[in-house]
Amino acid sequence: MSGKKAREERREQRLQNETQADSQERRQRLIRVGSAVAFLAIAAVAVLIVVSQNQSGGGDTNLEDTSAVNRELAGIPQSEMTLGDPKAKVTLFEYGDLQCPVCKTFAEEVLPDVIDSKVRSGEAKLEFRNYTIINEESVPAGAAAIAAGKQGRGWDFVELFYRNQGEEASGYVTDEFLTGIAKSAGVKDIAKWNKDRKSQPVLNEVSKTTTEAPELGFNGTPSFAVSGPGVTGVHPLGSSGSAAELEEAIEEAG
Amino acid sequence: MRAPAEGTLRRIATFVATFGIGVATYIAIADSGGGAPVCLAGGGGCETVANSSYSHLLGINVALFGIAGYVLLLVTALLRGDGARMAGFAISLTGFGFSVYLTYLELFVIDAICQWCVASAVLMAVLFGLNAVRMIVYVGRTT
Repeated sequence: MSGKKAREERREQRLQNETQADSQERRQRLIRVGSAVAFLAIAAVAVLIVVSQNQSGGGDTNLEDTSAVNRELAGIPQSEMTLGDPKAKVTLFEYGDLQCPVCKTFAEEVLPDVIDSKVRSGEAKLEFRNYTIINEESVPAGAAAIAAGKQGRGWDFVELFYRNQGEEASGYVTDEFLTGIAKSAGVKDIAKWNKDRKSQPVLNEVSKTTTEAPELGFNGTPSFAVSGPGVTGVHPLGSSGSAAELEEAIEEAG
Repeated sequence: MRAPAEGTLRRIATFVATFGIGVATYIAIADSGGGAPVCLAGGGGCETVANSSYSHLLGINVALFGIAGYVLLLVTALLRGDGARMAGFAISLTGFGFSVYLTYLELFVIDAICQWCVASAVLMAVLFGLNAVRMIVYVGRTT
């Protein structure tokens, strides 16, 4: 009787050992599969990174001051080439050429104060108008800005362009350069932007404002004008101007 | 040190993945229609990151990939068995790896930090930790 019991115990022990060995083997096998899965996951990340790098085309990496521009314009509404509350009674017009180095200086040193004190508060809105006087490359640059404006990024484009401006008329305004600016300016639909910037209505807009600038008595960039209840029509302010002078003109027009 | 019970790991993963779906959905909605997520601490970081060309992959908002990842991780947290353990590990490793890359871009390429993206990266790191422990400790074992 005890011999039978001992045999049964041994059999049970053997079965238990076999089950444990099976379980151990299965676990080892699954960990090997898990390692392969980890390898595949890492490969998937590598593919995502390569795709991300290729599509960005380095557009962001060479641009200066993207953060500064975003900070300057954050929270201010934009429509077409107008920055600020569309209901603001006073409009300050900048007639500028994106290739113009003086305009760049104005964009960096004068306009931020005006934007902070008058545009952000809703007292005035700021409209960019192309006055292409440097050379023919200013036309596609201005058209690209208007096309960005159609996606609510006109001022991001203008400000980023100024801050990444090359040497005047040196041929830097290439499709690649403009696309880099547009991407960093936050233009989402690049295909639409490409179509818009080459469209006749947009190019006509550039030449229309370029023609009207001399009619206001302007012969250089940047030139400013103001409109509002306190002035008749579009009142030219001329080429020079500090932030204080522009702010005073806005107050007088209001 | 004793590993936490698998049920505990799954419950935490369920909670974190649900939270992750919320964060990624907010980023996706805020970014759609030309907007950007609002950085709670101010500054233009979120807008800069959302405006960057890196915010889209093959024309699709990166946040949508995030939503998909968190949904899949939620499903793996709710399911039992080795399949769910393996899938949870693989998906969280992919998500974590991509989050590390995106955080690198924010710090060294785009030069701006978006708190929402950082929050998502932290959640993904936590999910990776939970799923790695679940896989290493419990794969091949019955629950």
